Amino acid sequence: MMTAPRRTSTSADPPGGSGPAWGGPALGPASLAASVRLEGVLKRYGQTVVLHEVDLAIEPGEFFVLLGPSGSGKTTTLRILAGLEQVSGGRVLMDGTDVTHREPGERDVAMVFQSYALYPHMTVAQNIGFPLKMVRTPATEIARAVKEAADKVEIGHLLGRTPGQLSGGQQQRVALARAIIRQPRLFLLDEPLSNLDAKLRLETRLGLHKLQRSLDTTTVYVTHDQEEAMTLADRIAVFMEGRIVQVGTPREIFGAPATVAVAGFIGTPPMNLLPGSWQGGVVSVGRAHLPVAEATGDARPVTLGVRPGDIRLVEGGIPVIVERVEDLGDSSIISFLDDEGRLVKMKNDRPPTVQEGERVTLGFEPEAAHLFDAATGLRLQPAAH
Amino acid sequence: MTSSRAIFRHIALYAVAGFGLAVWAFPVIWGLMTSFKTERDVLAYPPKFIFTPTLDNYREVIFGASSILPNLGSSIVVATGATLLTMLFAIPAAYALARLRYPAKKTSGFYVLATQMLPPVGLIIPYYLVLQKVGGLDTYGGLIVIYLTFSLPFAIWLMVSYFEDVPLEMEEAALLDRAGRWGALWHVILPQVRGGIAVTTIFVFLNAWNEFLFAVVLGGNQVRTVTVAMFNFISVEQTQWARLAAGAMLAMAPVIIIGIFAQRHIVKGLTVGAVKGGGRR
Repeated sequence: MMTAPRRTSTSADPPGGSGPAWGGPALGPASLAASVRLEGVLKRYGQTVVLHEVDLAIEPGEFFVLLGPSGSGKTTTLRILAGLEQVSGGRVLMDGTDVTHREPGERDVAMVFQSYALYPHMTVAQNIGFPLKMVRTPATEIARAVKEAADKVEIGHLLGRTPGQLSGGQQQRVALARAIIRQPRLFLLDEPLSNLDAKLRLETRLGLHKLQRSLDTTTVYVTHDQEEAMTLADRIAVFMEGRIVQVGTPREIFGAPATVAVAGFIGTPPMNLLPGSWQGGVVSVGRAHLPVAEATGDARPVTLGVRPGDIRLVEGGIPVIVERVEDLGDSSIISFLDDEGRLVKMKNDRPPTVQEGERVTLGFEPEAAHLFDAATGLRLQPAAH
Repeated sequence: MTSSRAIFRHIALYAVAGFGLAVWAFPVIWGLMTSFKTERDVLAYPPKFIFTPTLDNYREVIFGASSILPNLGSSIVVATGATLLTMLFAIPAAYALARLRYPAKKTSGFYVLATQMLPPVGLIIPYYLVLQKVGGLDTYGGLIVIYLTFSLPFAIWLMVSYFEDVPLEMEEAALLDRAGRWGALWHVILPQVRGGIAVTTIFVFLNAWNEFLFAVVLGGNQVRTVTVAMFNFISVEQTQWARLAAGAMLAMAPVIIIGIFAQRHIVKGLTVGAVKGGGRR
């Protein structure tokens, strides 16, 4: 389950063209992209376990996203990869070599911090060149590499400034240039877009994707933003409460979430989750009986999940009342309340056809239903959906 | 109306500042005037504001029998030595207190501060006995080490807040950039706390320069700092006010010069420390 073909192409690849022209030819000789394995990695702070024996395999050149809500252990995992946190148990391997107890500087890893962590007393050029200076690279060589790395992220004109004189987006690109200049084997990014405004975030996202493709360096990217994860990742690991609950391509995770928690976390608006009972090929929610694609023998309590985009207005479905209509021009999001007062959302790529206060009944295509065990929250259907 | 209020505000501000300045500056100006007077003019009553200035007092305290030049030399050696040693130990200690996680960190931080709570006079006798035992009385080494005991805790305590202001991530970035712990300290952390280092250095130097109690008890004929030498002008029979004032002016000169040069640093350093993390990046 953990091994995927190198760089799985996904339908979520962002379209090219409209983003910044980052990337370009590779920097100097091609860097050796590392494969990364975590084996039973455990992290404890005192009595609190923040990572429960996590296993993970990342392929060379992959853009791998660690996704999860705050406090789920994703940043801790990234910091363990960087060597900034010591593990309480388990091993970290890069290209098969145990690096668990290696210092951060000995791992050939570069990182972009959420706060960028630029050195305020140095110019942009000095910031970018710092990793090379630390390994006693000749000044002329540093100057050439700085220029090249800066051009790659389009900040060549800012080299003489100090970080304090830059905008947030420019600072972010300096941090990127500092990370790529040394052609690391592993590239770590900790929520690099979270301090940017919405428009810049979209642009930078495209730029990052291009940059990673052009560098071909294994990249581990931490985010709590599922949209970022979906658009950037070759594969995603979803973290919940210190455990990896699912690893897969964005399409797999969106299409077949492994647990109720993942289902509720991925997608905007999130998946509708309703308690019901599953018998044969039918799920009963309240008095409504709705056909689903899979059948089961004995009746069992389930959580029924349906994406807002899969909800339809049908005859004989779940009776609801229209609570709120959000008209987004070319699309609409409609919130309903069922008889028990539970919220159900429908996403439509058409203008709304119902009015607030109207009574309607809701259904879905049998294939659109996700069924989870009511007690454990685990998915009951096969992964391929 | 607004402008008249602004003018009033200005006048009020200047009045308050002027009053404050007068209170602070009066003894200095009085001392400066005294240093140019003859002993007769000094004792004249009512005090003379118009008088014929003389350089005799300065001539006497610089070249005369009661020259304080050797004492200025002693003060420079003691204060510089104490300051250099203090900073040499205080910088890594403060860095450790601010950064590293180790058991009893809180306790050791409190210990540093607790040493400041002892009244110096209570330490004089133990210090005297210790120095006597090791032959450190009336030596530069002895006095410098004693100065370390109070300047080091103060310097550490002052430096910790500057180190704490440097984001941890910046240091981690340096570690990932292969700087190592020493490289991170040297290239990334220290340049960012240089304002704090300047302020602390100045305070430590001034404290050592102005110190009297330990210097008078633990010093002697070999090591007699300028604050102690001032005392020579005061005897049971008479006080040589004019020479005392001239000596005091000379003793103050380095302090004032440092103050003028370091003023920008001090003000900046103090405000940075006051507004935690404000305007750093």
